[in-house]
Amino acid sequence: METENLTETLQLERLEVNLFRGITPDNSPGRIFGGQVIAQSLLAAYETVEERLCHSLHCYFIRPGDPTVPIIFDVDRSRDGGSFTTRRVVAIQHGQQIFNLAASFMEEQDGFEHQAEMPTTKSWTELPDQAEAQREAMAKMKDLPEEAKKWMGRPRPIEMRSADARSYFQGGQAADPASQVWFRSRDPIGDDQHMHQVILAYASDMNLLSTAMRPHKVHWQTPGFQSASLDHAMWFHKPVNFNNWHLYSQDSPSASGGRGFIRGSIFAEDGTLVASVAQEGLMRMKKPKS
Amino acid sequence: MDTQTLVETLQLERLEVNLFRGTTPDEEARSRIYGGQVIAQSLLAAYATVEARVCHSLHCYFIRPGDPNIPIIFEVDRSRDGGSFTTRRVIAVQHGQQIFNLAASFQVEAKGFEHQSDRPPAPHWDEVEDDIVVQRRQLKDAPAHMREWLDRPQPIEMRSVGGRIDGGRPEPRPPLQQVWFRAKDPIGDDPHMHQVILAYASDMSLLGTSIRPHGVNWQTPGVQTASLDHAMWFHQPTDFNEWHLYHQESPSASGGRGFNLGYIYRASDGALVATCAQEGLMRMRKPK
Repeated sequence: METENLTETLQLERLEVNLFRGITPDNSPGRIFGGQVIAQSLLAAYETVEERLCHSLHCYFIRPGDPTVPIIFDVDRSRDGGSFTTRRVVAIQHGQQIFNLAASFMEEQDGFEHQAEMPTTKSWTELPDQAEAQREAMAKMKDLPEEAKKWMGRPRPIEMRSADARSYFQGGQAADPASQVWFRSRDPIGDDQHMHQVILAYASDMNLLSTAMRPHKVHWQTPGFQSASLDHAMWFHKPVNFNNWHLYSQDSPSASGGRGFIRGSIFAEDGTLVASVAQEGLMRMKKPKS
Repeated sequence: MDTQTLVETLQLERLEVNLFRGTTPDEEARSRIYGGQVIAQSLLAAYATVEARVCHSLHCYFIRPGDPNIPIIFEVDRSRDGGSFTTRRVIAVQHGQQIFNLAASFQVEAKGFEHQSDRPPAPHWDEVEDDIVVQRRQLKDAPAHMREWLDRPQPIEMRSVGGRIDGGRPEPRPPLQQVWFRAKDPIGDDPHMHQVILAYASDMSLLGTSIRPHGVNWQTPGVQTASLDHAMWFHQPTDFNEWHLYHQESPSASGGRGFNLGYIYRASDGALVATCAQEGLMRMRKPK
């Protein structure tokens, strides 16, 4: 299986001025990865914006995406203002909304500056590749479904190195609702700042929800456990070069009512805070069917 | 405007199944509509199309300044009525243009895994001066009409730890602040309305957090500030007639924008009942 090249697979076809179509790569399992729809919706919005950079986006995952049919992205040009441009995008499949995004764009400006400090953690140079570590762990397991092995062992477009890796396959140990992972794009993204933001947005949906699961001794493969991203918000504070390693520092201030809430801060290796993320996810045990 | 008047004036008129009209209270009429009002009314519009489910999150953009002199139209899109979740989008319109949008999600009440971050230490609200008391002192030499403005009834009681910043003399402080707040008069029994008033109040003071380190504020000549977006997650139901601690911090200011996070803890048991995130414009106007 080849590594997916995101700069190619995320590209959209323009059907009309404000209407776009995207596809899902062949190797997706039963549903579309949320980060893909965020990334494609941001690209759709960017297709209708000139010379401004996205500084924030807010999304809802409304229905599971179907990887076997294309996705239609319908852009609303909410405002073209003097300093800001606002867009809304609705993603549609089978005649139904599966996702929406609202985003704002602004010209680059100078101004007041401050930022939170990067937490101290192990350097990425001292940490193992996460996909590699997972493949090794899976090789030792006999009862894991073939389908899960194939999916989790696939080559990833995003390289990840966790500073506090937790085995998804053994479970059992409770941990604090916090995690730190280094990540970057595996393939060169090029010079386009838009594409760096798009691929960072894609990657920002990874690992988040599992941070909220850590205290509760559950993971993706726990029988009867159900989890899904509900929303996703992201603020781009500074331009980003996602070909370089970044630290994704995450913590979950709350789990309640079958939902977990996680916030994330993304730092460049020199300690610059380039983006912040917030996400709520469903995390619950399925009710036994009667 | 007291709390009861606020609750009444936020109410919407239903024009059609998914279409609503709201107004701005007369005494709040300034040059632009307060952001929290539009958040609150949009949430009410969404609630008018949702049955037996509770809002757990909302995401908004402020697109254009709201005009307080004319009504606001709220158009609701019923994005999904699912088994466990209901999703809505609301667009607020004035003069034929979008001034604001909100997306929100509603859930059947459920139980499950529980954890929360601890409430940070803060002095008891009894030991913190009311913002109005502090402002009266700061404005003792100001013209009478400004001092009288402070005497009007307020829907929300606020007590800033360390004292409310003097608008005329903002000394630099770290990018964090704590405010005790609650609805001043009884909101009533409707749990939705407690969320709506909490959402209304959550737009107060938050943007000020990211301005604090820079020795300026919204009154400094040439400084321009405005809320750009607002997101809110309701973790637990709460009674907003009780005191809550609004713990606010700003992880970033850059590019003419400040980013703020706010955590709302119930005083009685320390429960984290809601989290807010907001980015705001904060810049010096370009000389003309």
